[in-house]
Amino acid sequence: VSLFQAKSCICHMCGAHLNRLHSCLYCVFFGCFTKKHIHEHAKTKRHNLAIDLLYGGIYCFMCQDYIYDKDMEQIAKEEQRKAWKLQAFTPTVVSHYQCTMTGIGEKYSTWEPTKRELELLRHNPKRRKITTNCTIGLRGLINLGNTCFMNCIVQALTHTPLLRDFFLSDRHKCEMQSPSSCLVCEMSTLFQEFYSGHRSPHIPYRLLHLVWTHARHLAGYEQQDAHEFLIAALDVLHRHCKGDDNGKKANNPNHCNCIIDQIFTGGLQSDVTCQVCHGVSTTIDPFWDISLDLPGSSTPFWPLSPGSDGSVVNGESHVSGTTTLTDCLRRFTRPEHLGSSAKIKCSGCHSYQESTKQLTMKKLPIVACFHLKRFEHSAKLRRKITTYVSFPLELDMTPFMASSKESRMNGQYQQPTDSLNNDNKYSLFAVVNHQGTLESGHYTSFIRQHKDQWFKCDDAIITKASIKDVLDSEGYLLFYHKQFLEYE
Amino acid sequence: LCKMNKDAQMRATINQKLIETGERERLKELLRAKLIECGWKDQLKAHCKDVIKEKGLEHVTVDDLVAEITPKGRALVPDSVKKELLQRIRTFLAQHASL
Repeated sequence: VSLFQAKSCICHMCGAHLNRLHSCLYCVFFGCFTKKHIHEHAKTKRHNLAIDLLYGGIYCFMCQDYIYDKDMEQIAKEEQRKAWKLQAFTPTVVSHYQCTMTGIGEKYSTWEPTKRELELLRHNPKRRKITTNCTIGLRGLINLGNTCFMNCIVQALTHTPLLRDFFLSDRHKCEMQSPSSCLVCEMSTLFQEFYSGHRSPHIPYRLLHLVWTHARHLAGYEQQDAHEFLIAALDVLHRHCKGDDNGKKANNPNHCNCIIDQIFTGGLQSDVTCQVCHGVSTTIDPFWDISLDLPGSSTPFWPLSPGSDGSVVNGESHVSGTTTLTDCLRRFTRPEHLGSSAKIKCSGCHSYQESTKQLTMKKLPIVACFHLKRFEHSAKLRRKITTYVSFPLELDMTPFMASSKESRMNGQYQQPTDSLNNDNKYSLFAVVNHQGTLESGHYTSFIRQHKDQWFKCDDAIITKASIKDVLDSEGYLLFYHKQFLEYE
Repeated sequence: LCKMNKDAQMRATINQKLIETGERERLKELLRAKLIECGWKDQLKAHCKDVIKEKGLEHVTVDDLVAEITPKGRALVPDSVKKELLQRIRTFLAQHASL
């Protein structure tokens, strides 16, 4: 397409490509507007209509101005859309504001209201202005009997920017047999409630009922685990996006393109290396969250194995200082020797051999949820691990990527700080905390509003919080959002 | 006179290459996005509205607007945007050194 354009889209008089090229609508003639070549043609040939090749506007030489015709505009819009699709170029424009998930490969076009929409707008003249200080989107949730585990997840989800944009732009088309049992429809209603401007707490009884119906293991009035609820909710939402009411449809996570998968699904790479022949067997599994072991659990945390971040770490246990989220991630992605009791059948050696296993991130999700495993349910004991883990406001996942590991293995120990590679940078936007013991506890959450305002959500009570409050909290579920979104 | 022709010829050749490889379209999209991001588009839009108010909607043509806002438009492009595009073009030229 580009080659053709280069050779034939030129002015017939001077050969220029630029200068607001116009095409005569009566004959085959291209002429520049700026140099008035098209004007000359119009005058001599009495061909009074020409089209701007860049924007599709129609110029009338008699009126000496562009004219606007509804039908022509429709045609121009349609042709532009087709041409854009044909071009198949991948713009690597990295920009917060430009990311529009309007659907894969669609050109951004401004919204134009339909007749019905104009009617609705006229009948409903009240408008809401979003200022930097407004509290729209913040709403308390009534506790319906130990439902704080559900409330804090709802707070986190309603403040996930991409999810919010999806629902508020009305993008859900219900596929369920009975829409009244669709959890996605209910989420949509929930978003409407949250962004309605009402300040009274919302009573999520319908949501609770739907969750009980579709995730039986969470039914009942006892306290449940917020993390379990998150995973169950994402699963039901993901199924209902496809109209799968009872989990009977073939579960093919690799081909699902629902909003849940687009936002939350990442790829975890597992490499098992045979210690004898050094052959590597790789599998990639989808994930919605990363569960991290903590120091203080019955499995030893320290030392982190050498080579887990490219630097040589001595065998001493690192006891001084606070444990950080990065420490937990380093441990998560460390090479683990599987031991003689867990030999794997090696396809290279054709026998059972000892091996090491290592996890790395193959593909990062847009929203990364980290689950700090604070609840220990081993055979011997059930307890809560209250070790403080410090987590950052901004997180760079580059060291934990499969690609970083490959570079390290190829001898590239120095990773040049590529300032243009913003792909792995994340910002914290929600934190779920658990106070109390395993037997009796309470969940609250911190959520981020606008760029740097944080609020604490304690069921029906919403209060302003400082960044310090958030970062000093214990942390159970940490929600991070990619800073830069790219088109694929 | 001879040097001017050479420059013009060079410019034409570069342009041709940019169009053929599709790079010109990519640069245009990048520029478009950057100009929206930094508020340039909004600034000029506001200026257009002012011009129309001044001249009256019935009496202003597209050409009038183009004449009025082009100088302002050129002046308002932020240096950072110019720098970035220049860098992109330089990289492109380096890659197509056969020119």
